[in-house]
Amino acid sequence: MFRDHVKLAIKNLRHRMSRSLLTLLGIAIGIMAIISLLALGEGMQQAVTGELSSLSDVIIVSTGGGGFSSFGGGGGSNGGYFTQRDIAVIERVQGIKEVSTQLSGVGLAEYNGKTTILSLTGMDAAVMKLQYASQTLDAGEFFNEGDQNKIMIGYSIAHDTFDADISVGGRIKINGEKFFVSGIFGKQGFGGVSSDSIVLMSSRDFQKLTGQSNISLIYLRVYNVNDAESIATTIQNAINQNHGKKDFATATTMTSILQTVQNIIGILQLVLVGIASIALVVASIGIMNTMLTSVMERTREIGIMKAIGATTRDIMSIFIIEGMLLSSLGGVIGIILGVFGSQALTLILRSFMSMGGGAFQLNPIITITSVVLAVAVSLIVGVLSSLYPAWKAARMSPIEAVRYE
Amino acid sequence: MEKTAEGIMSKDVIVTQNVSKTYGKPPLQVYALRETNLQIKQGDYIAIIGPSGSGKSTLMNLLGCLDKPTSGNIFIDGSDVSTLNENELARIRREKIGFIFQKYNLIPTLNALENVELSMGFAGVDSQVRTEKAKKLLEMVELSKRLTHKPSEMSGGEQQRVAIARALANSPSIILADEPTGNVDTKSGDNIMNILEEVNRKGETIIVVTHNMAIAQRAKRVLRIQDGVVQEGHV
Repeated sequence: MFRDHVKLAIKNLRHRMSRSLLTLLGIAIGIMAIISLLALGEGMQQAVTGELSSLSDVIIVSTGGGGFSSFGGGGGSNGGYFTQRDIAVIERVQGIKEVSTQLSGVGLAEYNGKTTILSLTGMDAAVMKLQYASQTLDAGEFFNEGDQNKIMIGYSIAHDTFDADISVGGRIKINGEKFFVSGIFGKQGFGGVSSDSIVLMSSRDFQKLTGQSNISLIYLRVYNVNDAESIATTIQNAINQNHGKKDFATATTMTSILQTVQNIIGILQLVLVGIASIALVVASIGIMNTMLTSVMERTREIGIMKAIGATTRDIMSIFIIEGMLLSSLGGVIGIILGVFGSQALTLILRSFMSMGGGAFQLNPIITITSVVLAVAVSLIVGVLSSLYPAWKAARMSPIEAVRYE
Repeated sequence: MEKTAEGIMSKDVIVTQNVSKTYGKPPLQVYALRETNLQIKQGDYIAIIGPSGSGKSTLMNLLGCLDKPTSGNIFIDGSDVSTLNENELARIRREKIGFIFQKYNLIPTLNALENVELSMGFAGVDSQVRTEKAKKLLEMVELSKRLTHKPSEMSGGEQQRVAIARALANSPSIILADEPTGNVDTKSGDNIMNILEEVNRKGETIIVVTHNMAIAQRAKRVLRIQDGVVQEGHV
């Protein structure tokens, strides 16, 4: 019986070939949009996860919380900086492999006869390499542990700050001391820590130069990734106690950063799929429209089938199968188009991102889940949008239908 | 194979008791059929005649279980069909009744063979058995060479013969033909009536609605209907 219904449905669809194809195309486009956007989202998810998970044993402690900058009259104010006491507290915590710091301050820089104030950052070479691992270098290389008077500079320091461009090996005077440029960071795209106007030197050079050790950030590595979260909490509480403030410091694990980024991408993905779903809703209205027209045209046929013994269920089933055939065929074509569509979308996105020079490797990933989802959605759309036309067809009285011209 | 023996003739296939069909509500009620009492025996060959608007179609629809009476009872093969629901009526239609319409009413997307098979499909007949039987029926109406032709590729007379084959597919108790020759030329019409009479000789009950007196004359019994009242009549 079911096979007969399918046969009848196929015959009807073929009888109205061009209309069937157009309706099917509507569904195909909707499914294509969903498949390619899901693939793109999954690709982003994995690219970000891959980059950040190599840092999963890292904890970053920063001076978060309220308004130290409003007190910061003379720059030397230690209101916003960590103290040696904080470092000592951290070093007593169990499970920490290493601690390093990032120092912040300002200096007077001179190049090619022009002088300007720049903010300076001091950190150990190892920490630097870790933090900027995902950053491409425009030129040169990172300085090494033990190197003296070498700096890394951001793209806009090299090209926009002074009258002349600075290249690798270039000499900048900072507070009267000579420094050589070891490497220049690539221009920052979107996302990540901005490095465009950074001047990076070793902690030792920084202390020698400024006579200060204003610790703005502390990097920790833990032995066991699973302890990272609890260690972060312990440290945050201890430092806050040192400073007598509830929100002086924020200790963030890479895992929690990862989670935040994943959540953001997840939301982005949801929004994209939501937009794609609009196409699907329009397509399902298309199916309903086609089916209703078909029911009207076949009023007589429906009457005949009822007269020769078709039940309400037979008629319902014939029309619902028609709708499902349309939408599932459209779904399959949409999945195939989606594979190509996601590649195309990625190429477009990559060409945007390469302008920013990001090292971010984006590849579309089509998961089994998204394919299953697409098939399920198209089947459901088929059933839902043919339900009303089918009910309308089944409800027809055979007398009226046979008499209908 | 003469089955017109008196023994078989004695069985009633259709009995109507005080069947009325009205449209609208009092006082604007219109009677399409009034207090009709009929007895139709197996193997009968009946012509129903009457002017248009007399209630012929209403009677056809009621006897064919396409419609329910407003009052009274209709028995088909002994079971009361006036109380049945939609699906039970569909079952009666497919098991007991074969329809032949003036405009053939074949399904345009199906070929001759598939059209004949369709009602057997609704009855759940196995697909091999069904094809076998459909071929035999089409052979009987001399359309063996037209099995894969769509209705649009056949003449009116041929389409009507496919419709006869379809009506016979589920071996019904009654064949209801509504102006079966109304849309075909005289020669084809004669051919169609010959086939129906052949079927009748084999024991099938035939009811033909017509206003063609020549057709009505060929029947064994004539019912005349006027203003919703049915009477035994003469041509």
